[in-house]
Amino acid sequence: MRIDSTVYVPAVSRQAAYLDWLQMFSGICLIIFMYLHALFVASIIFGTGAFNTLADFFEDYYLVQTGGPVIVLIFLVHFILAARKIPFSSGQQKTLWVQSRQLAHRDTWLWVVQVASAMIILLMGSIHMWVVLTDLPITADKSAARIQSGFWLTFFLILLPLVELHVGIGWYRLGVKWGLIKSKARNKVKRFEYYFTGFFILLGLVTLIRFLFVKI
Amino acid sequence: MVRKLIFSIFRYNPADPSSRPQTKKYKLEETENLNLFVALNKIREEQDPSLQFDFCCRAGICGACAMVINGRPGLACHTKAKDLPADISLMPLPGFKLVGDLSVDTGTWFRSMNEKVESWVHTDKKFDPQAEEERMGNDVAEKIYELERCIECGCCVSACATAQMRDDFLGAVALNRIARFIIDPRDKRQEKEYFEVVGTDQGIFGCMGLLGCEDVCPKHLPLQDQLAFVRRRMGIHALKRILPWKN
Repeated sequence: MRIDSTVYVPAVSRQAAYLDWLQMFSGICLIIFMYLHALFVASIIFGTGAFNTLADFFEDYYLVQTGGPVIVLIFLVHFILAARKIPFSSGQQKTLWVQSRQLAHRDTWLWVVQVASAMIILLMGSIHMWVVLTDLPITADKSAARIQSGFWLTFFLILLPLVELHVGIGWYRLGVKWGLIKSKARNKVKRFEYYFTGFFILLGLVTLIRFLFVKI
Repeated sequence: MVRKLIFSIFRYNPADPSSRPQTKKYKLEETENLNLFVALNKIREEQDPSLQFDFCCRAGICGACAMVINGRPGLACHTKAKDLPADISLMPLPGFKLVGDLSVDTGTWFRSMNEKVESWVHTDKKFDPQAEEERMGNDVAEKIYELERCIECGCCVSACATAQMRDDFLGAVALNRIARFIIDPRDKRQEKEYFEVVGTDQGIFGCMGLLGCEDVCPKHLPLQDQLAFVRRRMGIHALKRILPWKN
């Protein structure tokens, strides 16, 4: 808190509250989307038939054509809203780094992970969405071809854990910030979050490996 | 075997132009039940009389001996040497004006904070010394007392990365103060008045939920739950304007 000599003028704007709500809602939308996305692409584990049936379903009902751009929009809005908190100046970054290292405090580190992963997800997520949405329809063959090219495998091996960490820490933080996770339950929920994130990273890896073995 | 403790203590006297910030090492033999408050007094008495640090009550009540102990803010009088490794680093609390060495001026900060959040019961009632005190339910009284236990040591502000990055952030202590008045029936302030004080990005909506405050508070105040309580109250208050049935 800054110590100043100015007369205190009460805030009349409710903007900060609205933006905080929007940040939460956009975050929740993306969290739900990401977990569903992980489950849907994992359908490849049951073969290309299962994957294509699901993909066709989403396209026949125009869910991809309409949902895709909406997710892109929420993704960008979420970034702009969350950017209010991201330390962009080198001074703030240095403060955060020194603070995190000195304090050796898990939840502070989790936030550092969230901020760092956010910047990479912004770039790689945009690329991923562009590539997929400009090359509809989604089919198992096309996805498998991309992953078997090698480049996209490396791409997803980086993006997958970062996304899972980001959304996992995201819902945990929303819970503690808004009081859905009480102080008493915090450690338990945090441990659950680690396992939950671990499960989805594993599921993603199995999905990627399965794509490697799809015969095109 | 008696441990030899090595204290690395931050030394700097801003009042002395020739002084430069540095870390000085002091050796001390560990004695039974040694806490950092006693250790620092021993060092000052036996090794270096120029060492500056604050203390008052030596019982975790006054909050004066808060400092950064091996990276974590805490009270020197509450911290036992046996709970620490033999190498102990002591730094002044960041975020406050340095008086010298381990001594910081938390008073100016807290006075300013208390003025900002108007940390007193707002009432129009005329005080009648003859009248019987108004009754309050035991559960409410206990809730208020729980939050009132804050000793204003400054640990939560120093452990908060948000407060360290943004010097206009109110910090957990201020938001806890507001929570205390929200539940106090004697305070006539309504949601709108509280919102004006903390419903900003410098107040509750600036909090990113890093919970350093909750984890270092030497008095174990329920800061996590209180911050969430204030966030919900203020968040819902803001929504009332756009949700007609909430009016």
